[in-house]
Amino acid sequence: MSKYRLRGRGRVDSSKPVVFTFDGKPYTGLKGDTVASALLAHGVHLMGRSFKYHRPRGAIAAGSEEPNALIGTRRGPGRFEPNTRATVQEIWEGLETTSQNKFPSLKWDVGAVNDAAYMMFSAGFYYKTFMWPRSFWDKVYEPFIRAAAGLGVSPTEEDPDTYASRYSYCDLLIVGAGPAGIAAAREAAGKGLSVILVDENPEMGGTLLSEPQSKINGKAAWNWLEDELAALQAAGVKLMTRTTAIGYYHENLIALVEKLTDHLPTLPEDTPRERMWRVRAKQVVLAQGALEKPMVFHGNDRPGVMLAGSAQTFLNRYGVKVGNTPAVVTSHDSAWYAAFDLQDAGAFVQAIIDTRAQVRQDLQDEARARGIPVKLSHTVTATGGRLRVNNVRVNPVSGGTNVGAGQWIKCDALLMSGGWTPSLHLFSHTKGSLTWDDDLTTFLPKDTPEDCVITGASRGLWGVEAALRDGAARVGEALAKLGIGSSASEYSVEDDRTGSGVMMRELPTDRSPGKAKAFVDFQNDVTAKDLRLAVREGMRSIEHVKRYTTNGMATDQGKMSNINGLNIAADALGKKQPQVGLTTFRPPYTPTTFGAFAGYHRGEHFEVVRKTQIDAWAEEHGAVYEPVGQWRRARYFPKAGETMDQAVTRECAATRASVGIFDASTLGKIEVVGPDAAEFINRMYTNPFLKLAPGKCRYGLLLGDDGFIRDDGVIARVEEDRFHVTTTTGGAARVLNMMEDYLQTEWPDLNVWLTSTTEQWSTVALNGPNAAKLLAPFVEGIELTEEAFPHMSCVNCTVAGYPARLWRVSFTGEIGFEVNVPAPYGRDLWEKLWEAGQQYDITPYGTETMHVLRAEKGYIIVGQDTDGTVTPADAGMDWAVGKKKADFVGMRGLARPDLVAPNRKQLVGLLTEDNSWLEEGAQIVFDPKQPIPMKMVGHVTSSYNQGTTGRPIALALVEGGHSKMGETVYIPMPDRTIAAKITGTVFFDPENSRLKI
Amino acid sequence: MSKHISSLAPSVVVDTAAARVAVSQLIGRISLRARGDLAAVGNAIGVALPTKIGTCAKADGIEVACLGPDEWTLLVSLNQIEKVEDALAALYPSLPHSMTEVTGREVTFTIEGPQAVDLLSIATPRDIASIKVGEARRTLFDGATVVLWRDAETSFRMDVWNSFAPFLATTLETGAKELAAELA
Repeated sequence: MSKYRLRGRGRVDSSKPVVFTFDGKPYTGLKGDTVASALLAHGVHLMGRSFKYHRPRGAIAAGSEEPNALIGTRRGPGRFEPNTRATVQEIWEGLETTSQNKFPSLKWDVGAVNDAAYMMFSAGFYYKTFMWPRSFWDKVYEPFIRAAAGLGVSPTEEDPDTYASRYSYCDLLIVGAGPAGIAAAREAAGKGLSVILVDENPEMGGTLLSEPQSKINGKAAWNWLEDELAALQAAGVKLMTRTTAIGYYHENLIALVEKLTDHLPTLPEDTPRERMWRVRAKQVVLAQGALEKPMVFHGNDRPGVMLAGSAQTFLNRYGVKVGNTPAVVTSHDSAWYAAFDLQDAGAFVQAIIDTRAQVRQDLQDEARARGIPVKLSHTVTATGGRLRVNNVRVNPVSGGTNVGAGQWIKCDALLMSGGWTPSLHLFSHTKGSLTWDDDLTTFLPKDTPEDCVITGASRGLWGVEAALRDGAARVGEALAKLGIGSSASEYSVEDDRTGSGVMMRELPTDRSPGKAKAFVDFQNDVTAKDLRLAVREGMRSIEHVKRYTTNGMATDQGKMSNINGLNIAADALGKKQPQVGLTTFRPPYTPTTFGAFAGYHRGEHFEVVRKTQIDAWAEEHGAVYEPVGQWRRARYFPKAGETMDQAVTRECAATRASVGIFDASTLGKIEVVGPDAAEFINRMYTNPFLKLAPGKCRYGLLLGDDGFIRDDGVIARVEEDRFHVTTTTGGAARVLNMMEDYLQTEWPDLNVWLTSTTEQWSTVALNGPNAAKLLAPFVEGIELTEEAFPHMSCVNCTVAGYPARLWRVSFTGEIGFEVNVPAPYGRDLWEKLWEAGQQYDITPYGTETMHVLRAEKGYIIVGQDTDGTVTPADAGMDWAVGKKKADFVGMRGLARPDLVAPNRKQLVGLLTEDNSWLEEGAQIVFDPKQPIPMKMVGHVTSSYNQGTTGRPIALALVEGGHSKMGETVYIPMPDRTIAAKITGTVFFDPENSRLKI
Repeated sequence: MSKHISSLAPSVVVDTAAARVAVSQLIGRISLRARGDLAAVGNAIGVALPTKIGTCAKADGIEVACLGPDEWTLLVSLNQIEKVEDALAALYPSLPHSMTEVTGREVTFTIEGPQAVDLLSIATPRDIASIKVGEARRTLFDGATVVLWRDAETSFRMDVWNSFAPFLATTLETGAKELAAELA
């Protein structure tokens, strides 16, 4: 046991030693310790280096607000995490921790040369220094800044941990389990409400854990705490520890991050590391407490200089004296108690230095009774010591600014308190307004649009009794809104430590303030001098000061620095604080892992993947997949050793030679039913549909209001009042939404309903000269002849024993069928056709072959050959627009002047002169000899070299292309320019002779 | 990603102390859209249509959930589909409506066990407690639209379009194991 540990004191378990390492050296702590408390128990204050000046730093706080003591933690491969706060990380047997921002070692760091050159690195130095010369930016400045900037080292291995999420609803959520939060929970408990109480610490109690001396309603604080928590538990209140409320969003949605395993020596199976809770609470009580302010003086960042309240926490909660001969500097009464506690625990407090002239007599008496020297109206002007404070320079002040001669006082820790700042983070997330309180020199909460109340120290109250009473009273407002009456319980607290203080800016000094390293933002190394410089250089708003100096922009989000920064900036501007403003707090409250946000959505579960009922067959047959919208679709089916090009070439040839089988199940399908079904379809699509007979299919082109092509598909009139509409795979949901939108807002008079049937059907497409021969034996109810079942027919029949909607359609130019059977039977139908198809050398093909075969026929793919700026005329599809129709969606748009202008980009075919393959997306010019930048007149939309025409083909959008048949255009590529001739878009069987059975 | 799910092959997805998830057998489903004289529809199919969204009705061999102001899902045994369809078809001339069979569209997971509600809450933004026993809701689970039927305090059915089923099965499996680990 080290000399700083007080055996039996605090809430750590003396009987359970825990060994962990810091920078490779083993240390023994106790169960319940954080890395910081365990290191402090060994007298280790130096825990890291600051990130700009690489100054040695130690823990300044004891909780999640800690800006300095950032460490790396490691638990075997992949489980390294930088920037963990040593004051939060609980120790467990075998934990490996490392300090950061040091090279080659924490105690001797070459980067600290920045510290010596600190005059160069003042506020705005990035903006000033690296502007010139411009050419240095890429090779010198940026790499240097990137190497120097950032905290810690990014992990390089994949995170093997899992993360979880949970939605939750409750009547009342209480954030913060200090006295106010617990009192609030107590009022709400047992009233039939669902109540959640959360706290970021491993145990609840808040300030009570650090102030065990008080007696609440006659009970010792810790006994009271234990009883209260047990009572809450018994009353069904959900108590969540290690759970941080990171953000407060609209309509009382609060995000909580629960840490489940970071404190465990071994990881339990199936247990996520963290869980993100999204809690929708009817009422919220914010009881986040207050954060202590550092004092701003030269050398206030030296290891061993820390917040007085935190020293009290280390003492009372962890049983660790942060020093044996500490000194205290303060402008608030609370630090006096820290001095008393330490003195009573066996330390020798060297002095209490208070900047105030007047301090409560009882405090002075208590100090004298303990033999602690008191220095009122004094300031601190420097600290000494290399890696740990070993003395402090103290000067008397008179008249507020006259600083007398300094005197050095030896100490092994310096505890400071500049007063306390109410924690308004979550309150501010609600867009809550703040009001400036001159007496407390701080912002206090005012109004919030959300259903929440704020209580305790976070609204400026001080002392355990005040917090308890306020928690009990304020929750009453929330309960009233829930329709529950309550009368706040009474609390009386003995030995309560109330107090007050005054606000200080930089402490007065007899030395040059321009040379003072008086830190305001410890993590970002921002000093008081930087803030004043920013104001001198023209920054007026606190938002500008913040960005110019980076004050408050570190991972602690200005928990330590915002108010000190504001006070100094306001002083420099000669304005009152509220006129200078406060920067906005934004979620998350504390740094949060990406894993917590991702939850279950990582690796193979990253995003929704939809699979057809035939997908498993494709997988078993070696399909290579591609994502299409949310679907995964078989792209091609390579045989052993085949490249994609070889496989697609084979699939194309086999389909044209005999028969190919294709899973078209992903096509969007919408059942349109009702007496006005035909009228509705006729209004939605450009093509005429009123006279389409039942049993017939027709191609349909869907435009937006603007007249541009949005979607297309084949539409079958199944019965008089029933249509089966197909859409593109990716467009299914969009088209259904668009149709519903028109139906509900434009044409509510139409008697028609839409039902998504995309997934009702498995759709198997057979294409090729032998398609009819293969299919015919399976079909009952129709003969597959040219006469009985011509191209673009549909019929309800039986296929392979299953009820089916059989269509004769073709997207390949070959004889084609699409067999729709209820989805679960798709796989069986496919296998039966596959088996019977062996006699025809049936070939399964994927989306790539589908793309090639359709391009050979000049069939467009919406979204590939169109891009939202293509009209039917541009696409050469005027034939699809009903000339005699009274109206359809997009008709008026098509009449716009720019849509009927000549020389629009039009879809044409391209054949390269040298038979080379064009790259999709390649730009096209008319004159390759024109000066650069050339005028680009279009681009290649589709290009294939795996087809059956014996040469590469391409489709392209070219300015005025339809009137340029036979002309040559040029496609400049990085290595050469390719010439191509403009042709029609149909490259194969222009007479459609192959469609005939 | 090699999980494949079909109503033709009912199977247990996961079974832990927290919850058991299984794929149900194929059942007849009809999506019904209608307005006007709903009593006539009720007479035709043999069960009065519930009219409050989320409420359900049940009669011999048929179960109905109201999912929208003019939308119902009908569950019937496979051999009853034709009968119901014929009855509705006979009504069509006097009360036009949309009857679309969607038997093949969905896969149903049964989710039951002491922590069935918690399991649903890992990926359903909706308050599960607001669904009363005997009611149904269209909602989301892990990014997919589902219909949740609450059959008992800790027993649910989840209908989801079949293509989403493998993805959701993975979520349910992960969650059931996570919850079981929490119990241990």
